[in-house]
Amino acid sequence: MEANPTAPLLPPRSEVGIAGWAQRNLFANWHNSILTLVSAILVALALWFGLKWVIVQADWTVIVKLGGGFIIGQYNTEAACSGQNCFWRPQVSLLMVTTLTGMAWGVAGGGVARIVALSVGIVAAAFALLPYSMETMGMDVRLLLAANLPALLIGWALARYTPLGSARWLSIMGVLAFLLTLVLLRGLQGVPGLQPVSVIYWGGLMVNLLLAVGGITISLPIGIALALGRRSGLPVVKTLCVFFIEVFRGVPLITLLFMSQTLVPLAFPEDFPQNQLFRAAVVITLFSAAYMAENIRGGLQALHPGQAEAARALGLAGWQTTLLIELPQAIRNVIPAIVGQFIGLFKDTSLVYIIGMLDIVEVGRAFILGTPEYRGSSRELFVFVALVFWVFTYGMSYVSRRVERHLGVGLR
Amino acid sequence: MVADIKSLTYQGVPVWRHAQIIRWVVQIVSGVLVVALVVWFFANVTNAVQDRDIPHGFSFLSREYQTPIGEHFIPYESSDTFLYAIVVAITNTLIVSIAGVILATLLGIFIGVARLSGNWLVSRLALVYIEFFRNVPLLVQLLFWFFIILALPVESDAYNIFAGNAYISNSGVSMAWLSPTNTAASTAWITLVVVAIVAGFIVNRRLNRREMQTGQASYPFMAGWATVIVIGVASWIVVGMIAGGSPFAVSSPEPQGQFMRISGGFTLRAGLLVVLLGLVMYTAAFIAEIVRAGIQSVSRGQTEAARALGLSPMETLRSVTFPQALRVIIPPLISQCLNLTKNSSLGGAVGYSDLTSVALTMTQTAPAVSIFLIIMASYLAMSLTWSLIGNLYNRRAGFIGG
Repeated sequence: MEANPTAPLLPPRSEVGIAGWAQRNLFANWHNSILTLVSAILVALALWFGLKWVIVQADWTVIVKLGGGFIIGQYNTEAACSGQNCFWRPQVSLLMVTTLTGMAWGVAGGGVARIVALSVGIVAAAFALLPYSMETMGMDVRLLLAANLPALLIGWALARYTPLGSARWLSIMGVLAFLLTLVLLRGLQGVPGLQPVSVIYWGGLMVNLLLAVGGITISLPIGIALALGRRSGLPVVKTLCVFFIEVFRGVPLITLLFMSQTLVPLAFPEDFPQNQLFRAAVVITLFSAAYMAENIRGGLQALHPGQAEAARALGLAGWQTTLLIELPQAIRNVIPAIVGQFIGLFKDTSLVYIIGMLDIVEVGRAFILGTPEYRGSSRELFVFVALVFWVFTYGMSYVSRRVERHLGVGLR
Repeated sequence: MVADIKSLTYQGVPVWRHAQIIRWVVQIVSGVLVVALVVWFFANVTNAVQDRDIPHGFSFLSREYQTPIGEHFIPYESSDTFLYAIVVAITNTLIVSIAGVILATLLGIFIGVARLSGNWLVSRLALVYIEFFRNVPLLVQLLFWFFIILALPVESDAYNIFAGNAYISNSGVSMAWLSPTNTAASTAWITLVVVAIVAGFIVNRRLNRREMQTGQASYPFMAGWATVIVIGVASWIVVGMIAGGSPFAVSSPEPQGQFMRISGGFTLRAGLLVVLLGLVMYTAAFIAEIVRAGIQSVSRGQTEAARALGLSPMETLRSVTFPQALRVIIPPLISQCLNLTKNSSLGGAVGYSDLTSVALTMTQTAPAVSIFLIIMASYLAMSLTWSLIGNLYNRRAGFIGG
């Protein structure tokens, strides 16, 4: 036994730093080392061929050629908007979106909202600098796009320095902006400059986003109602909800979408106002609501019965127990499943090809099949479309993970 | 007037606050509303059918379909009836679903386990796979594979790989395969192989039980496989001797005739190949996440105890962690199988004749209402079958008393 202990020894070289990390995580034993080597070779090969394809072999002119078609489809063509320039309408909608994300940033005061708002604003404004010629992309278009950055800051300022800066005002303005966007895109008969544009010409990412935003907003409340109905003690209500949920979950979405085009028009009187985009939106929303109901039911089932009992013991009424005690906890616990469903809904908007809508995927496919000289560019096209979808879906799951951490899911 | 309403009481409670009465009113109102809506829709459809002379009914089922179906696994002629064509389409959907579920489960388990690997690089690779394939719509993936296969050379210039034993072209992949030489002999051998597998199972269970009871090492796994192989090889020789030639021979694909069409061997047609590629890669990403979550749900103590008892990491995973994780994995896995079955309806977009695409084509010559009823009934039946399988498993694997 040492009477006079010396200074503690430093850990051996192989335990700390990069070498230690690699020792522990890559070369722990002989079969781990082999695994690492094989994967490293695979990664190297994939990177080599992938980068070679992206930089040297791939011909990205198809993306440039289609350009705005990816975003608005045939919206600004002669057939859709004869003799007028309609391009400003989706752009004004985009300005509303950036203003709203700016407001969201102001309301949240930073964090993930700031990241999202700044990326939306900067990407939208950066489109103004696309190297198209001035004939293809005029100064008016560029200015409207560049205006996204000031719009973002105006939204932020509105939220910080006016009484509009609350979550309640934000959601009210969100709904108003969505309705205004629909009116703006559809146009109004008899108003100069707002010539009506039939929904069959709406296309590109615009259609995917409109369907997704509308579907996400409406499917959640319907899903909650269905979940509560399925758990209710009223046999008639319960049977109806179970029937609805199981039928919509049991059939593929494209079958339902096709049915919405052939059968639903028959189910209404002939002069009933309806259009194919609206019907598709209703079907996608109901389909998603059926899945949402099952997610929320899972959350409700996982809740400890003591919660409801305590609420009742405190004198809360039945509806108060459900709305104030059970639902908030159930929803917080199934946020990952709900966001997963939202992502699924966004991906499902690509299925509107079956009813002849030209969404971002179908715009690309129609272009490839219609112009033989670009037939060889299909890989570039679908890689690009996949990346666009990926940015949105990955963004959604990233935001959800941040929100979950903020709400402390799994920690309480 | 006010006094009249206030005096409307039941069991001493005003009717509008009596819980039982509210329950009844809510149910009757919702029931009546839904029934009224359905009746209104039905009346509108009937009116439209009569006014516009739209075909209806199910009599078309016995008519000739007179349209070719691109891909079929049971014999089909254009002169067959609508009913038979629907059966052909359902087989197509079932085949792609069953093959897809098996492959996607295997790939998904592999990637899910890789995601939990202690090896940083392997785990990152699995993460990249999952995050990419899960987040891109299936349709985009299917179209990507479709145009890749389409860009391959035509059948007469097919790539020849493995020294003439496999051909790849834009109409599919052909490879060498066993083909029966003599129907009686091959049937006999297949029957004997089934017997061998059953015998192997029995041997495995017997020895397993003996090992459990006596503690003697009995090698049940190896003995089971040995039984299968020994009976299989022996019956191959015996059947071969009786029939005067082996029951199966290797058949290699060969370009034949004026158009150099490839015949012989086993051919995976392009449509099926694309649908399988897309469905398996897409669904495997979801299954991998389910497997990861399932394995992580088993408490760490289980792994630590197994390691302390001297089991290797692989043995720990195989006999301790995974069986317990299965309980968590199976229900969402079943719902993925169901999703895969329904997603196979996208096959039509890439030229595979699944149930949906055939049925949608049929609506041009047959009443749409009836076609939709048939599609919905078929898919609901498939969904119910999957749920039934899931429920059976749950009953077997659930916690006893829990």
